[in-house]
Amino acid sequence: MLFSFDPRISRLELPEAPSLPTDKVALDQFPTYEVFHQRKENAAYAYVGPVHAPEADVAFLFGKEQFSRRFPCTGMWVVLTSNIRVTEYGDDQQSVYDRLPLLPADELGTADAADLEAYDIFHLKKRGKAHAHVGQVQAASPEAALQAAKAAFGDQRPVVNVWVVRSADLLRSDEADRDMWTTTPDKKYREAIAYKVQDRIDRFKQEG
Amino acid sequence: MDPKLDLLYRLADDQLILGHRNSEWNGLGPILEEDIAFSSMAQDKLGHSLQLYMLLHELGEAEPDTVAFTRNTPQFHCCQLTELPIGEYDFSLIRHFLFDHAELLRFEALADSSYEPLALVARKVKGELKYHVLHANTWVKRLGTATEEAITRMQAALEFTLPYALGIFETTEAEPEIISSGLFIGEMELQRRWEESISKVLAQTALTLPDLRLLTPVSGGRYGQHTEHLQPLLDEMAEVFRLDPTADW
Amino acid sequence: MYGSASTHDIPTQATTGLENEDPILLAEFEARIARGEKIEPTDWMPQLYRKQLTRMIEQHAHSEIIGSLPEGTWITRAPGFRRKMAQMAKVQDEVGHAQLLYSAAETLGKTREQMLSDLVNGKSKYSNVFNYPTPTWADSNVISWLIDAGAIVNQMANAKGSYGPYCRALDRICAEEAFHLKYGHDAVVHMATGTPIQRKMMQEALNRWWPAIMTFFGPSDKMSTHTEILMRWKVKMATNDACRQQFLDMYVPKIWEIGLTLPDANLRKNEDGVWEFSEPDWEDFKRVINGDGPCNAERIAVRRAAEENGAWVRRAMQQPKAQYVRPLA
Repeated sequence: MLFSFDPRISRLELPEAPSLPTDKVALDQFPTYEVFHQRKENAAYAYVGPVHAPEADVAFLFGKEQFSRRFPCTGMWVVLTSNIRVTEYGDDQQSVYDRLPLLPADELGTADAADLEAYDIFHLKKRGKAHAHVGQVQAASPEAALQAAKAAFGDQRPVVNVWVVRSADLLRSDEADRDMWTTTPDKKYREAIAYKVQDRIDRFKQEG
Repeated sequence: MDPKLDLLYRLADDQLILGHRNSEWNGLGPILEEDIAFSSMAQDKLGHSLQLYMLLHELGEAEPDTVAFTRNTPQFHCCQLTELPIGEYDFSLIRHFLFDHAELLRFEALADSSYEPLALVARKVKGELKYHVLHANTWVKRLGTATEEAITRMQAALEFTLPYALGIFETTEAEPEIISSGLFIGEMELQRRWEESISKVLAQTALTLPDLRLLTPVSGGRYGQHTEHLQPLLDEMAEVFRLDPTADW
Repeated sequence: MYGSASTHDIPTQATTGLENEDPILLAEFEARIARGEKIEPTDWMPQLYRKQLTRMIEQHAHSEIIGSLPEGTWITRAPGFRRKMAQMAKVQDEVGHAQLLYSAAETLGKTREQMLSDLVNGKSKYSNVFNYPTPTWADSNVISWLIDAGAIVNQMANAKGSYGPYCRALDRICAEEAFHLKYGHDAVVHMATGTPIQRKMMQEALNRWWPAIMTFFGPSDKMSTHTEILMRWKVKMATNDACRQQFLDMYVPKIWEIGLTLPDANLRKNEDGVWEFSEPDWEDFKRVINGDGPCNAERIAVRRAAEENGAWVRRAMQQPKAQYVRPLA
């Protein structure tokens, strides 16, 4: 049996030389969901990163602890990565909307209000930073939503990259569940500020 | 024992021991994201127990560290469910599911406790417990409707764990006074709510809840009678602390 | 937590492959980096850039997940509530960092399945310091403070690199590591200024770890064509020696001020402000990184067991219609 200084590992009773594992199969780690958080009341939702999860509800469970355990948060959205429509990336200082070809009306779907759906629009203002939510538009397709976003938010600049998400594809935390985050700021033991040791050092030096 | 102390020790010891047990999964979980989530909940349990030991300290008991790290098996009032080794993930999830349903309902009731400091703690941690239950429900629903392998495992874990889970509701001599003084609704009422609550979730799965009346609860924990697993756990937990109990670590 | 184990993977000879890249695209790519803009996943990039970054971020991720084990060794034994909860949170953070970094590496095209397979099959490297054991609580404290301190030096430099997803991950990691550093320092100070038992335990742990700490940033860089290119592309942000000097300058005085000693008679700061020290045993370093260290086998065995024991859970959660696409950013 493998010796370990870790009693948890000793309890696993691992063999000294375990057999070579086979390579993981595709999707062993599930697909990815992209996660957005709201830092404080009324702030725009901003991108924080992906989680691997089998379904949206599990992605929410995972996203909450991976991305909001250490910093204040009031809400969270998750969406399957493949449900995000992404534009090309522009240069910093520019707007990718300027390069967006205007689609002829007949490619934008019907103007029939019954076919319209809500889409959420996210902008990246600077390469290396995070996408942030700018608002919703009504459209009949992701392409049309992008055109509508240009009309609604095209005067903002710079816009390095745009994400378009059908609103129905976003899983959003419940207003009623906001209290899941209320104690985050109380968990001081995982904040640098809780560790103040200078007095002890000074005392030691004086006594020394 | 004073009814307040009796109640607080049971609650605090449950959370300390289960939090400790669940922390054993840190870094060894089935997938990275779940590893992180499970650790958060273990930390929450430790945090809850600390708050309860602090209430005990205000009532004249020793410091939380002393209480947690220097007592031995007979002085612990946790139910035996919490002290069992982590086993495989099926068992750890089912224990989490059965325990946290009781815990959420318990703290919801404690939010109205006549003992205001405890009511305050209960109101504060309710949101955390809501996440714990959401987490447990999601996993039980997913795995309980998934592959035959998963359903078989979860069913076996459920059947193994239930008698221990019934031990959560073991009462002590202080129970009548706990109820009459408005400290808490009492274990019998809690168990009634718990059965309703877990049944609702299990009904959405392929898992079968056995007739609980036919099970013999594993009790004794509330009176300091424990499995052979608790003392080694306590020795391990206090290994460094006891090297020099006067030291400031 | 990560040093520069990857840096001596930089090929020192052979070709950079740049002659096969489109010169116009390459010029645009280099101009973007030169004017301080980040590269994002769907941008054109040279093969060498993709390959080196993938390797570097992947090794960084492995170092986090493996790095959770030596401190995890003390998770059930941390003395007192404060330490117990912090130790749990710190180990959790390391797993969280692995998750962030694997995601960043995935944007370059390598799946997490492949990376985890390469780790447990011994095909990938991770920071060599984690091949050493933590026989006492004090060893864990030394890692919490000094290995994390070294990692922060490295990560702060890399956070100014050119690849957007890596920078985003590192910004979050550095914010979280501020707690690790303070917690580690706090624990070491309590031991060093505590009872004779504590003091002795801490000094012995420091003596055990110091040689490994001195190798943490890797050997002196060989200034090859590759190194120059990778620095120009802001993949490699500081030389190993510069990182080591910065670390010594920041932390040796803090070690000395609490009465601890370091097991290197040649360690001192000379008049030019440069730290002198005995050259670490790089032969031993090579031997350990290639598999013959005290804990290599255990670290890999534990990861294998974790993956294997969790396999039924992951199998059960699979959705038949699921499709993988790379994370976006």
